[in-house]
Amino acid sequence: MQEKLVEFANLLRENGVRVSLAETLDAFSASEVTGLSERDAFRAALRATMVKRASELPVFEELFDIYFSGLGEIIKQASQAVQNALSMSDQEFQKFLDQVEKMLQKEGKNLSELARQLLQNNSGEMERKIREASRAVKLNGIERTIEENYFARALARQLGLDKIEAEIKELREQLEKMDIGSELKAKMEEYLERRLKALDDIIRRYVRMEREKRDIKQKEDQRLNQIGEKSFYYLTEEELKKMNEAVTRLAQRLKNVITVRRKRSKKGRFDIKRTLRQNLKYGGVPFKLRFEKRKKEKPQVVILCDVSDSVRNASRFMLQFVYSLQDLYSRVRSFIFVADIGEVTECFRNNDAKEALDVALTGDIINVYAHSNFGYAFRNFVTDHLGAVNKRTTVIVLGDARNNYNLPHDWCLREIRQRAKKVIWLNPESRNTWGFGDSEMDRYAAHCDLVEECRNLNQLYRVVDRLVAG
Amino acid sequence: MFSSIEDVIERFAKNNYIASRRIATVIYLATELRKPVLVEGPAGVGKTDLAKVLAASLGFDMIRLQCYEGLDEGKALYEWEYAKQLLYTQILKDKISEVLVGAKSLTEAVDRIAAQDEVFFSERFVLPRPLLKAISSEQPSVLLIDEIDKADAEFEAFLLELLSDFQVTVPELGTLKAKHIPLVVLTSNNAREMSDALKRRCLHLYIDFPDRVQELAIVKLKVPEAATKLAEEVVTVVQSLRKLDLKKTPGISETLDWVKALTLLNVNSLDQELVTETLDTIVKYEGDVRKAQEELKDYVRRVRARRGTEAGSDKDLLN
Ligand SMILES: Nc1ncnc2c1ncn2[C@@H]1O[C@H](COP(=O)(O)OP(=O)(O)OP(=O)(O)O)[C@@H](O)[C@H]1O
Ligand SMILES: [Mg+2]
Repeated sequence: MQEKLVEFANLLRENGVRVSLAETLDAFSASEVTGLSERDAFRAALRATMVKRASELPVFEELFDIYFSGLGEIIKQASQAVQNALSMSDQEFQKFLDQVEKMLQKEGKNLSELARQLLQNNSGEMERKIREASRAVKLNGIERTIEENYFARALARQLGLDKIEAEIKELREQLEKMDIGSELKAKMEEYLERRLKALDDIIRRYVRMEREKRDIKQKEDQRLNQIGEKSFYYLTEEELKKMNEAVTRLAQRLKNVITVRRKRSKKGRFDIKRTLRQNLKYGGVPFKLRFEKRKKEKPQVVILCDVSDSVRNASRFMLQFVYSLQDLYSRVRSFIFVADIGEVTECFRNNDAKEALDVALTGDIINVYAHSNFGYAFRNFVTDHLGAVNKRTTVIVLGDARNNYNLPHDWCLREIRQRAKKVIWLNPESRNTWGFGDSEMDRYAAHCDLVEECRNLNQLYRVVDRLVAG
Repeated sequence: MFSSIEDVIERFAKNNYIASRRIATVIYLATELRKPVLVEGPAGVGKTDLAKVLAASLGFDMIRLQCYEGLDEGKALYEWEYAKQLLYTQILKDKISEVLVGAKSLTEAVDRIAAQDEVFFSERFVLPRPLLKAISSEQPSVLLIDEIDKADAEFEAFLLELLSDFQVTVPELGTLKAKHIPLVVLTSNNAREMSDALKRRCLHLYIDFPDRVQELAIVKLKVPEAATKLAEEVVTVVQSLRKLDLKKTPGISETLDWVKALTLLNVNSLDQELVTETLDTIVKYEGDVRKAQEELKDYVRRVRARRGTEAGSDKDLLN
């Protein structure tokens, strides 16, 4: 079982569910508690130990069905098909199997194990054998439909299908000579033939199922990759929604990392000097204790986000990121600009994400239908909001730097940088196009500590990683 | 503890909680494997109640830590009562002098005071908060850490340490180890995602809204005085409202509240007017109310169409 669970954990991992080794071991202990025979309990046990995110539950359910019900189910169905072909009721079939058993005791002494299991309808053992064989032929490497034939043959060879065929043929010949009623004889003959065919069927269906398993993974991979690499400019509504979740999680991760780091340099120590000084009035009896103030270097962030039409999708998405950040930190101030610049900190604080973005983008705060003018926006920021920036502030500018040939006023950015700890510029446009046409990116870059292309989710991930690291 | 999954289901039922097989399995595992359970799910699906019923079913004490933004170790674990300690010191001044009578050197004086250490550093100056209570409890207990997602990530990191060995070090007293490892239930509304480290330590239980049959059973259990027809109608309506994209989807608590309210009003069956008047029991936001009303109109129309000519007076809309 342990082996099977490790394999299942791998499968989950391949499909994007993060399962650690410790969790796999937990799954094992849990399955020992519930036992395997009761499907629902077993399923619940694995679910509780291996999947920790609600969003991953559907993948789990799907894979569990394929993996744990899969082969067993196929074997059961094949057996059912045999029974149906013989048009017997459950009872009749059971009785018939007893007769088969008797016959085998007499004539089947030389049968190989698998042949015997097949004829005795011993599905558990068969399942085990087939799994073993599929490991030997590395069935889990199957990827494409055209490989199905190859793997089916390999698996048949591994299982010794030829030999089983020969054995069953021999059995049929012996059956001829046996002294049982002709009706039963006919039934037995048919049974043997059907069983043989059933095995072939099982192999084929199992191989197909394995291939489909990989397919799910492929599709999922493709989808994720696509969405990760796809430029913000071309996202559909559905994709935007997915992105938003990803972005929120990204911001969360940023915060987790920072929190853990802060926690390491924890807690103020007892401050003797201050305690004594403060308690002089009580004759030196220390009534009020003083601790060294914990230095909380709370990160301060000021974000300037371009929301002009040229970056519409990107800015929605950036704003979502800004929104999540602001939700996580107390000291984030957020501004949006096209030509005018306006603060949205309050608006973000008081609304849920969707409303906040709507307010920001529908023009109540600034005119979003104006033509981009970075110079004008920066100058207004310096005049009206420079107080928001101090030597602990990281300033992040999100924008494409397309200035419509207006005055760039890059001196404003210089001024901001002089007061700030750091200035970072994230540009949703491809690096190749920076500086061409009305792009002032090169000019502004001179006053930034870091300029990054940030056209898609993967790049944003990288940027966040860097921010976290430094 | 429980003898089987069925046992969980039965004993929970005795305590007025309808546990699905999946829930019961996770609870059974938690008690067998001694692992904390992280319960996630939308508001009002019975996460908090689950912990309470677990304690009641086992006859354990229930210790609850309600999380909120800014919750810190002092509020969660213990506080040292410096003022009380100082007061003792002051009051005992004379006694201290007595102890010191005849001491020949400073060293001797210090030694004598040191011999009385435990007077000054004892548990009597510790003000225990829920987590310490759970650790030092003489009885086995269920520790409910409710709405952990509301606490800061920093607190989560602290909790993680605690959950791994159930011992704490109080600098003044030394290390305290739990006499009974408590059964821990953490709940989260998913306001933020819990760290992987925490999730790895816990069994995970996701409780979703119940299906119709289950919800009806819960209503019957919790509001037995409600008319069957009313209960059925309310559940049907709530179930259909959950399909809408609402700002706050009504939970089981809302269903129960609504049934209770209507039962108090002596209602046996819903009609349009009543629905309009009491809708704010289950949907709280203005936008949601509007959406809900739209949906219900539709719903009523459909029911009527199905009933065909049979539809009676304008008032009797839902039936
Ligand atoms: N399976 C159930 N059986 C019986 N009662 C239930 C069940 N599920 C929920 N309830 C009832 O629903 C109400 C809401 O439950 P509870 O307060 O535990 O929800 P919650 O998930 O903790 O919500 P929140 O996230 O708002 O804290 C309670 O009155 C509870 O008794
Ligand atoms: Mg609750």
